[in-house]
Amino acid sequence: MTDRMPDRHLSFSRRRLLAGAGALALLAPRPAGAVLSIDITQGNPRPMPVALPDFVAGTPGEEQVASEVTAVITNNLQRSGLFAPINPSAFVAKVTNSDTVPQFADWRVINAQALVTGRITRQPDGRLKAEFRLWDVFAGQQLDGKQYFTSPDNWRRIAHIISDAIYERLTGEKGYFDSRIVFIDETGPKQRRVKRLAIMDQDGYGVRYLTRGDELVLTPRFNPSTQEITYMSYGQGDPRVYLLNIETGQREVVGNFPGMTFAPRFSPDGQRVIMSLQQGGNANLFVMDLRSKQTTRLTDAPAIDTAPCYSPDGQYICFESDRGGTQQIYVMPAGGGVAQRISFGEGHHSTPVWSPRGDYIAFTGQARGEFSIGVLKPDGSGERILTEGFHNEGPTFAPNGRVIMFFRDVGPGPFLHTVDITGRNDLKVPTPSYASDPAWSPLLS
Amino acid sequence: MKTASAISAGLHAAVLLWAIVSFTGETFKVTPAQSLPVDLISDKDFSEMTKGVKDAPKPVEKPKPLVEKVEKKDEPRPVDEAKPKITEKKEVEATKNEPQPQPEQKSDPIAEKIKEQPEKQEAKIEPTRLPPRRPPRPPAKQHKFEPNKIAALLNKRDPQRNAAIGDTINSTRSLGTAAANSAARLSQSEIDALRARLNALWNPPVGMRDGDRLQITIRIRFRRDGTLADGPQVITSGSGARYNAMRDSAVRAVLTGQPYTMLRSEHYDSWKEIDFTFDTQAMYRDISLQ
Repeated sequence: MTDRMPDRHLSFSRRRLLAGAGALALLAPRPAGAVLSIDITQGNPRPMPVALPDFVAGTPGEEQVASEVTAVITNNLQRSGLFAPINPSAFVAKVTNSDTVPQFADWRVINAQALVTGRITRQPDGRLKAEFRLWDVFAGQQLDGKQYFTSPDNWRRIAHIISDAIYERLTGEKGYFDSRIVFIDETGPKQRRVKRLAIMDQDGYGVRYLTRGDELVLTPRFNPSTQEITYMSYGQGDPRVYLLNIETGQREVVGNFPGMTFAPRFSPDGQRVIMSLQQGGNANLFVMDLRSKQTTRLTDAPAIDTAPCYSPDGQYICFESDRGGTQQIYVMPAGGGVAQRISFGEGHHSTPVWSPRGDYIAFTGQARGEFSIGVLKPDGSGERILTEGFHNEGPTFAPNGRVIMFFRDVGPGPFLHTVDITGRNDLKVPTPSYASDPAWSPLLS
Repeated sequence: MKTASAISAGLHAAVLLWAIVSFTGETFKVTPAQSLPVDLISDKDFSEMTKGVKDAPKPVEKPKPLVEKVEKKDEPRPVDEAKPKITEKKEVEATKNEPQPQPEQKSDPIAEKIKEQPEKQEAKIEPTRLPPRRPPRPPAKQHKFEPNKIAALLNKRDPQRNAAIGDTINSTRSLGTAAANSAARLSQSEIDALRARLNALWNPPVGMRDGDRLQITIRIRFRRDGTLADGPQVITSGSGARYNAMRDSAVRAVLTGQPYTMLRSEHYDSWKEIDFTFDTQAMYRDISLQ
């Protein structure tokens, strides 16, 4: 179209010419009124039907593992609340070769929107090779396909990693299945509870105890960047803060903090810990560099400031304070400064935890004699309660910020539960006995 | 103080007094406007009305009173009109011959059905007579119903309304205009049905971070039977896991919905290509209100 322009137009500045050409280009493919345009603004969110036929055994003898891997993936997707795995008895087709393109019509019949096929093969060197392909049944195309190698006893992790890949491709969010939970395992009668630090996969399998139970342990917290945790332990009187490497089992005393009111939390880079120390009737926030052990005071208020937590970018801290009269959540710059109250909902707000994706702060609410778990945005807007009841406490975010785990006690003892940040899909997490104080690890891979 | 307050009080009183005296002017004279009957109708109703009814009685005698009332306004015309009426009728005969081959040209199954019923054929032709009987607006028959030009259509209805104020009320069902029939666009009810179907089928990924900022526009080319002529063409561009998940969910909804039987084949020209924009913003607003 530009060649038709009169000469004087050519003398215009290049930018203007480009702008004009751009405007014409925008107009060109869509003459006014030629194509009917319809807006679809109300979707119907529901769990997506997914077909997960058993993985194929690439070598004889792997049928058992192949089937178990499929079961773990199915369980993961089901528990996320976003997928509805279809009962295998409804399948009209059988997958015998994961390399060929499936007959999509067979899967459309049972309304599967996505199909996962895979194969487990034992390599000559003894390792397992796990392959999977994710298909879009209605579009008739492959969405994802990957293969992994691992030692045979690690098959469960492979299943979690495949679950994460499927989850990410279909929801657009990173998964959280390849992660672990550290929690306080509670056994024995109520008066003489034995509390042990324990760790397990996020789906409740592979429980391992990290302490013997002769000391009272509390509030374990994960280092966001490594597989390291801190926790508080009341051994002989004063609370001690320990640093424990889960892989090596190495334990180190961070310090002896008389008057510690809450377990420290790591900064996002894992280099510092932030904590609250009691002095007289007040408690203030301090940050300690883990290398130099140098401590800096962040607040100096005649109030109880406690439960600090960093934002994922490390720029801000949220904490709980009663400086306004009741326990509420405040946000301030990580280096100290003016704290802004963000919680204005009903009742008290405590134990704030910043989501790893930064969009929400989860808290324990207390109103009308009930304890609830809720979320609000860091600017204080959008507060909503996810679950409410006799006792709910201690929220911790999944690595993708989509799911919150907390512990619920309806009388006899606490159990771990998860809930989606939309408030749906409240599920109990299987644990060997009573469990409290969960902390969700970052993704392992 | 006393004097000051006295002056103040005095001045206030004076102002109030002045206001009372000067503001009581004459009451506004309102000339009662002639009331016009106005019906508020939806797009759907409008398209239904202009479409007309096939089995309506022939409006042979009905237009006469309409013409009479128009005639009253301009005295010299009635004489002129009486003569043209006869000549016009001849013209109408000519037009009669023209539309007859029309059904033959149509290869539609619907046209064939119409052929089978000769009475209805006549009904279709009859409306062409209507416009010539209204001398002031002969070109009206060329109007085609376009949703964007509803105002123009409303203007066209004015003469009828004037007549309605007269002695007799035109209560008989009309055949509608021929133009409205032939150019019927996708009606609002069809669009609503299509939208409802896609709303129900679309399973957007929820709870995504910044998911409310994503918009996916997909262009679909349909076959006459309501199935997709080729793959959905995504017009918006983007990248990243969130975009892909959202895009796939929209494409999946469009694919699972076929065939779109609510789209009538006689309107095929208006729905053979449709742009669907999938937007979760409204949904996210709902969630945040929970």
